[in-house]
Order: sequence, then structure tokens, then C-alpha cells
Amino acid sequence: MIEQILHSLSLFLPETTLTVFFCAAIIVGLVAGRTSRASLYVALIGIALATWFAIQQAGSSEGIFTGMVVVDPFATFFKLLIGMSAIVILLFSLYSAEVQSTAHRHIEYGSLLLAMTLGMFLMAGSTNLLMMVLAIELTSLSSYVLAGYTREATDSSEASLKYIIYGAVSTGLMLYGVSILFGLTGATDFYNINRALATGSVNATALLVATIMIVAGFGYKISAVPFHFWTPDVYEGAPVTITAFLSVASKAAGFALMMRFFKTCFIDANALGLPAGMWASLQGFEWNKLLAILSVLTMTLGNLVAVWQNNLKRLLAYSSIAHAGYMLMGVVVLSDKGLAAVLIYFIVYLFMNLGAFYVVMLVANKTGSEDIDTYKGLGYRSPLISVAMVVFFISLAGIPPTAGFIGKLFLFAALLDAKWIWLAVVGALNSVISLYYYVRVVRNMFLRDPERNAEPVVFSAPQVVIVLALLIPTILFGLFYSPIVELANASVVMFGMK
Amino acid sequence: MDLYAVVFYAFAFITLAAGAIVVFSRNIVHAAFALLFAFFGVAGLYVLLMADFLAITQLLIYVGGILVLVLFGVMLTSNTIDVQMKTSTIQTFPAVLIVAALAGTLIGIFWSTDWKTTTDPPIQATAPKIGEMMLTSYLLPFEIASVVLLVALVGAAMIARREKKA
Repeated sequence: MIEQILHSLSLFLPETTLTVFFCAAIIVGLVAGRTSRASLYVALIGIALATWFAIQQAGSSEGIFTGMVVVDPFATFFKLLIGMSAIVILLFSLYSAEVQSTAHRHIEYGSLLLAMTLGMFLMAGSTNLLMMVLAIELTSLSSYVLAGYTREATDSSEASLKYIIYGAVSTGLMLYGVSILFGLTGATDFYNINRALATGSVNATALLVATIMIVAGFGYKISAVPFHFWTPDVYEGAPVTITAFLSVASKAAGFALMMRFFKTCFIDANALGLPAGMWASLQGFEWNKLLAILSVLTMTLGNLVAVWQNNLKRLLAYSSIAHAGYMLMGVVVLSDKGLAAVLIYFIVYLFMNLGAFYVVMLVANKTGSEDIDTYKGLGYRSPLISVAMVVFFISLAGIPPTAGFIGKLFLFAALLDAKWIWLAVVGALNSVISLYYYVRVVRNMFLRDPERNAEPVVFSAPQVVIVLALLIPTILFGLFYSPIVELANASVVMFGMK
Repeated sequence: MDLYAVVFYAFAFITLAAGAIVVFSRNIVHAAFALLFAFFGVAGLYVLLMADFLAITQLLIYVGGILVLVLFGVMLTSNTIDVQMKTSTIQTFPAVLIVAALAGTLIGIFWSTDWKTTTDPPIQATAPKIGEMMLTSYLLPFEIASVVLLVALVGAAMIARREKKA
């Protein structure tokens, strides 16, 4: 047992690093004094190190701590994605007026970001119901507090409270579902659940009810309709940095856990006569139809409501709901190609969505507003930032030659491959709707005159560097996409799966 | 009906009735006291399941710790004792429909499902076994739970701390 635990520890290095730095961020912050930025730097180093250790684990595929979590290419991919977005968020935070104006709470900011990253790392690897719930709780608890980080602003407190209430309800539902699933199968381990379900002696209605309840927990994390109600208010009220983090990393972790849960628990391991790279769900339980409905609802509602938004943060909130809907399409098709498409989409989404949020943050820093009217004539006041925003937006809309197009292309290809034509059509129609609200902002920036005596908006060199660091991949991956496709194809391998 | 069943239904009734008072009472002090009986009833159910460690923990932590803390919180927060909470019911009809459908489904599946049951004899003393499991098979969740609690502490401290206006 001891040897086994020691061996597990050696494969648990990224998470251990995060935990150590979580404690270190608190202690360093206390020693360095309340207003120092030290905790932010500690968090930055900790997350960078953890991500580095996670990259070192590429290729290993093993269950550790008696099967509580696994280290496999799939988990490593998401750890890399989450780690990278956490690093970008910390860099944002160093230049965010909102975060810097509350310097006396930097200790909490740094340490809770580390804890949240730890929770997401665990979500990426959990293969046990117990570990799954704990990882979700760790992520959620830290994000509740961070959403209310700028306590002075009433909408930030409101955001935090709404987040907690919706979070508590969906966690409660999920736990109820988990308990029913445990009652049906007598197992908490994903693989054992699969074995118990494969015997075919399980009541299908009970399983369906349990699954719907568990989906409530996932749906809340990835903000899928009808579990999305918190999203616009929290995204609007929370500091932009945290909003951006929630919209990318939290969603990625939720997707990682959901894909692993569905694939490992509900796959029919003995299905015959399937083309390579396709899998089948267990007899009598077509959970992918459930996700297809969720996907259509999510993208349609997200896009239709986004059209009416005038606050950029709210607009991006609904747009992120819509993107969750697109990505759900990739899970529906039950193929490695579909999963790979989701992974590709996430790489692309990381750059374009963080980029869009960063520009919103920079503009809000200067003007104090996120209203669409603020962007009138911005193209003449700050050409570089505006052009960057245009690229991020047309990438989000999925127009070539940006990376967003590649993401959508692979998703639709996977759908057509698996003969889900109607879903692909719905997705394509939705992309058209989304074009309208993205272009609305672009029109405001370039085709409207700036207000009289508006001065040029100038940004500092490091800020411009961060924008470029997000802008260049957004264009580059639209033209040279083979590296990300290869990475995604190599990363769909889950431990213990064919 | 044998004695076991009688005791089970008694505890179940206490739990449910007290739970209903917690939910429906408009007086926060009444709700807090009703919570005491709900926790107590659950502890009784644990005893019936031969889960001695869980039953004691339930009593010590929930009844002895959390509930007393809730009562102190109610007592020390000014103006909560007489405050009538705003609890109005809106959208009664759709809510009744949904709740009825949900309850029907749940009762239906609980009735008809073949639950996975074990034939192992109950364990006489569960505490040593639980302790051993927590440090072997369930080591990771046990440790991560402590991180979760630390995060909760840090978060609660940040939200509750009074700050001087800069």
C-alpha cells in the first residue's frame, strides 16, 4: 500500500505543486504585507511550474491513488489548457484596474486562483464519483469567492450570491443523482459503474433520472441551458479577469469531466462491428440524444439572447453559452473524431475568448464602461486594439482565415461523419445568428464616428504584448492548424479505454 | 411489524416532519430548532443502519456543533429574531405540476428499482475500518477535503472581514 501511495505521489506532482503554492501564497502574502503583489507572483510561479510538470507527464497513462484519479493524455491535455489560461489570467490581473484597486486582498486573489486551478486539474483526471464531487466543490467554492472579489461594487456581491445559490442547487441535484447511481450499481469508480451497467440488470428509468441530475452539475459548470441562469449576471458582476477565467478554464474542466464520465461509464465496451474511432452507448440508454437536445437549446438560446445585449460582458457571456452548445455537438457523436474536435475547439477558444475579454478589460480600464456605445469610433482612437478585437470576434463567429473557423470546421466534419445532419444544420444556422451580434460591435468601432473631442486611447507596451500573444495564435492556427489537430488527436486517449 | 420497522418509521417521521417545519416556518428561530430534530432523526437512521461512527459524528458535528453555531448566529445577529421572512409563493400552478411530476417519477423509481444490496453481515465497529480506509484507499479524497475546507476558511474570512475605507 505504501509503495503504491508513494508511486501515486510521484505522478501527482502538478497537483502537489499547486497545493504547496496555495499555502505558500498565503504565507508569503502575510510576510510581504497586505498591499504587496507578492501573492500574485507566487501564484504565477506555482501555476507555471504545475503546468510544466503536467507537460512532463505527457504519454503516461495510469490510475493513481487506488483509481481516484488518472493521469492520461486526455487529462494532461486539459491540465495544459487550464494551466495556460490561468497563467494568462494572472498576467491580465497584473494590469487590471479592478484587481489592482483592491491591493489589500491580493493574498486571497492569488491563493484562491491556485486553489481553483487545483480543483480544475482534479476535475480533468477524476474517475471516481467521490473525487468528481470534491473536485467540482473545490473549483466552485473558490470561484464563488473570486466572483465577489471586488466587494465594493454591488453587482460583484450580487454576482457572488447568485453564483452560490445556483451552485448549491445544482451540486445538490448532482449529489442526489450520484447517490441514485451508486444505489443502482454499488460502485463509485467509473469503470466499475460501467461493468455493473453492462450486465443490463439496471432499471433504465432510474438510470435516466440519475443521469439527468448529474448532468445538472456538469451543465452548471459549462453553463448549458437550462442550467445557465447564473452566467450573464456572474459574468457581468465579477471582475473581468475572473469572468474570462470562468468562461475558458472552468468550462474546459467541466467538459473534461463530463466527457470522461459519459465515455467511461456509459460506453458499450463489447459492441461489435463499429468503424474505427467510433463507440457505442450501452443498450437501451442513449444519453447522447439527451446531450443533443441540450446542445441545441444551449446554442440557440445563447445566440438569440446575445443579439439583444448592449453590455459587452453580458454579450460575451451569452456568446460563451452558445459556444458551450457548439462544443456539446462534438460529444453527441460518440466518436474519437468528435472528442478531438472538442479539444481543437478548446485550444482555439482559449485564445480568441481570452483575447476578446482582455480587450474588453483594457477598454473598461480606460473608460470605466463596458457598454457597446463606448466602442463607437474606437477604431480611430486605438487602431491596434480595435483590429485585434475584430479578429477575435470574427474568430468567435467562425469565419476564415481565423482559428475559430478551424474549430467549427472539425466539429461539423465530425457531425457529418456520424450522420448527425440535422444537428450540423442547426449549428450552422446558429453561427449565422452569432455573426450579427459580433459584427454589431465591429460596426460600432469602425463605421461610427467617435464622439467629439474624444482623444486617442493609448495602451502600455506590456498590454500590447499580451494582446499580440493572443492575437497571433488566433490567426496562425487558422492557417497552420496541423499542430493543434495532431495534439488533439493524440490527446483523446483515455486511461482504460480502447 | 417488528420492532425494527417501528423504530425506523418513528425516526423517518421525526426527520420528515421536522424538515417540513424547517422549510415552511416563517420564524427563523422555530426553523433552527426544528433543524435539531431533523438532524437527530437522521442520526437515529444511521444507528439503525449499524453505522455507529456516522451516527456519533452526526450528533457531535451537526447537532452539537453546526446547529449551536446557527442558533448563536441567529441570537447575535440583531433584528433577526422577530423578523418575518419574506416568503411568498409565486407561480403556484406550474410549481405544483413540476413538483408532482418529479415526486411521482422519484417515488416510482424508488418503488420499482432493484437496488444493489449487499449480503455481507454488518460490521460491528465501523470506526477502525473507516480510519484505515481514509488513510489507504480514500487517502486522496480525504486530503483534498482538507484543501476544500481551507479554501472555505480563506473565502469566508475574505467575505466577512470588515475593512476600513481607504
